[in-house]
Amino acid sequence: MRFLLSKPEAIPYFRDLIAEFNASQQDVEVVFDTSSNLQAGFLRGNPPDLGLLNYNMEMARFMARGALSDLKDMPEAGRILPEVQDLVNNLAAYPGRTSVLPYSVMAASVIYNKQIFADNGVEVPETWDDFLAVCDTLKAAGVVPIYSTFKDAWTVSQGLFDYTVGGMVDVAGFYRQLREEGTNVGPDSEVSFAKTLTEPVSRMEMLAENYTNEDAASRGYGDGNLAFSKGEGAMYFQGPWAFGEIAKSGPDLDLGTFPLPMTDDPESRKVRVNIDLAAWIPEDSTHKDAARTFLSYLFQPDVMNAYNESQLGYGTTTDAAPVTDPRILGMKPYFDEARFYQGASQAIPLTIPTENYLQGIVTGAGVEPTLQTLDADWARLALRQ
Amino acid sequence: MATTTATPVTTPHAPRPEAGPRKRRKVEPIYYLFLLPALVLFSLAITLPAVMGIFYSFTNSIGFGEWEFVGLINYQAMFSDPAILQSYLFTFGFAAVTVVVVNVVAFLLAVGLTARIRFKSGLRAIFVIPMVISGIIIAYVFNYLFSNSVPAAGSSLGISWLSESLLANPDLAWVAIVVVTAWQAIPGTLLIYIAGLLSIPGDVYEAADLDGASKLQALLRITLPLVAGYVVINVILGFKNFLNAYDIIVGLTNGGPGTETRSIAMTIVTGFTGGDYAYQMANATVFFLITIVISLVQLRATRGRSAL
Repeated sequence: MRFLLSKPEAIPYFRDLIAEFNASQQDVEVVFDTSSNLQAGFLRGNPPDLGLLNYNMEMARFMARGALSDLKDMPEAGRILPEVQDLVNNLAAYPGRTSVLPYSVMAASVIYNKQIFADNGVEVPETWDDFLAVCDTLKAAGVVPIYSTFKDAWTVSQGLFDYTVGGMVDVAGFYRQLREEGTNVGPDSEVSFAKTLTEPVSRMEMLAENYTNEDAASRGYGDGNLAFSKGEGAMYFQGPWAFGEIAKSGPDLDLGTFPLPMTDDPESRKVRVNIDLAAWIPEDSTHKDAARTFLSYLFQPDVMNAYNESQLGYGTTTDAAPVTDPRILGMKPYFDEARFYQGASQAIPLTIPTENYLQGIVTGAGVEPTLQTLDADWARLALRQ
Repeated sequence: MATTTATPVTTPHAPRPEAGPRKRRKVEPIYYLFLLPALVLFSLAITLPAVMGIFYSFTNSIGFGEWEFVGLINYQAMFSDPAILQSYLFTFGFAAVTVVVVNVVAFLLAVGLTARIRFKSGLRAIFVIPMVISGIIIAYVFNYLFSNSVPAAGSSLGISWLSESLLANPDLAWVAIVVVTAWQAIPGTLLIYIAGLLSIPGDVYEAADLDGASKLQALLRITLPLVAGYVVINVILGFKNFLNAYDIIVGLTNGGPGTETRSIAMTIVTGFTGGDYAYQMANATVFFLITIVISLVQLRATRGRSAL
C-alpha cells in the first residue's frame, strides 16, 4: 500500500518509522511516496492509499466531492479533540462522514527575540495600543520592529494578514456566513471582505508601511530567517516551522512567541493554528484495510508524541503529551483553552490568487479595491462551482 | 504556399499530391502509412485531451469526483474576471515588447558576429550559451541579481529607482521579465539571423561598395530586405513562444507584485492545480481560439515569404 507524505522536514522521521513497521509484521508492506501529484493522482483514479498531508483548502475539496472514505468507525476517530476536528469541518464537509483525522497542529504567532526586547526595555504587549507602543520604542531605538519578507507572497498572507484578521474577526463564523451569501457577496451583502476585513487589513497595511524593514519587498523567506537569526529584527511573523531554519544560523538565540493583540482586551488574544498533518484514505484506494492498519500504527500515542515533539507541533488527541519546548510554550495556554483560529487566508479556495492580492496591498495597491476584488472573485466562484 | 498564382515564387518540383485535380492522381497508400504513427500519437496526446478539456469547460468539474453541466457559466464568469482579463492584457503586451527587443538586439548582434572581427567563433559560442540553460534556472539566478546585486549597485550609484528591487516594483516588474526572457531568447533568434546573413552573396555588397554606398545604406537597403524572410520567421516563432510565458515568470515574480505579472499560462496552471479545472479549461479554450486566429492571420500575412 502506498503512503503519501510530502512535508520535507518530516520525511526522515517517517522513513525510519516505515522501515520499522515493515520489519515488524508480514501482512502490510508500506511503500513511501514523498512526491506524487495529488490532483493528477485523484484525476486518474489512482490516488495514494493513505495520505498524511497538510490539510487546507486544496485537500478540503477532495473531501467535499466525496473522494475520501469514511473513517468514523475507527477507534482513532474517537480520540481526536473535538475542537481540533472542528478545524477540519470549518473548511468543508461531506454529509455524514468523518474522512479526515488530524495528526498534528501547528500553532503560530509572533516570534520575538527576547534579548532585543530586554535590551530596549519592552515587554510582551497585551493590547493593540501596547503593541504599537512597543513598535514605536523599537523603531526609535533604530531596531526593525517586524522583519518582513514580502517577496514571498505566502509570508504576507500567513503572517501579517492571518494574525491581524484572526485577532479581530471570528474567522470560522465569517467564512460560514460568506459561504451562505455565495453569489450575493458584494457591496450589498451582510458580510464581505470589503465590509468585514477593511479594519484589520488597514492595520496590516499600516504595520507593513511603518514598522517593517525597508527592503522587505525584495526579501524572501530564506533571507528573513537568516536576517532574524542575526538579530536584524525584533519580531518575525512566522510559524514554528521557521525555528529550525533560524537555528541553523543562530542556534543560541533566545526566542519566544506571543499572539498578536488586536484589541484592547487581553482576553481576546488568540493564536493561529493550522492542521500541519492530517490522515485520510481515498475512496478509490484498493488497499483500504492495509491503509487502516498503518493508520492505526501511526496514531499510537508514543508515535504521535514523538513526531509532535520533533516538529514543535501540538497533539490532536485527548491523550497527547503536553508541549515542552520553550519556544512554543508561550502558545500552550491558548491551545489548551481552544483560543485559536485557522488562518483567514487558508479558507479561501486556492484558485483565487489571495496571496498575490495581499502582496499587492503591502507593495502599494489599495486596501479597499483589493478587498472588493476578493468579493467579486468569491461571488464568481460561487456562481460556477 | 505554392498554390496561389499571386506569388512569383513557385516550386513546381515539390511532390504535393493535392496540387492537381484529385480525380487524375492516384495517391500511393504507403504515404498514409507514413502518416499513421504521428497521427495516432498526436490524436492521443493532443487532440483527445483538448476535446475532453473543451467538454469539461461546460461543467463544474474540479478534475475528479462528482460534477454536473453548467452550460456557459464558466465563460460568462471568465469574461467578467479581472484577473483573467488582466493576464491577457499583460501577456500580449509582454509578448509584443519582447518580440521587438529580441529581434532588434539579435539582428544587431548577428550583423556584428558575421562581420570581419577577431575571435568571431569564440564570441558566437559565448552568445549562444544562454540557449542551453533551462528557463527556471536563469530565472532564479536573475531573481537573486535583481533582489540583491542590482539594488546594491543602484544605491551606491545614487540611482533611486534602481536601489529597490525591480521585481518588487508594481510598475516595472514587467521590465525585468522582458530583460530575462530576451536574454534567454536572443541566442536562438541570433542563430537564425546569422544563417540568414551568411546566405547573402558577397557580390551584392561589392557592387554597393563600387556604387559608393555607405555601411549604413548597405545595411538598410541590402541586408535588411534580403533577410526579411528570416525576420518574419523570428517574429512568428518568438511571439508564439512569448504568449506561452510561464517558467521565467514563476522563477522571477510568481505573478507579483500583486497580480501585475500573471501570464495566461500561469493563470491556467495555478487555477487548475487550485481545483478550478472546468473554469480554467474554459480559459484555455478561449486562449486556444485566439491563438488559432493569430496563426491564420500570420499565415496569410506571410504567404509567399516562407519559401525563402
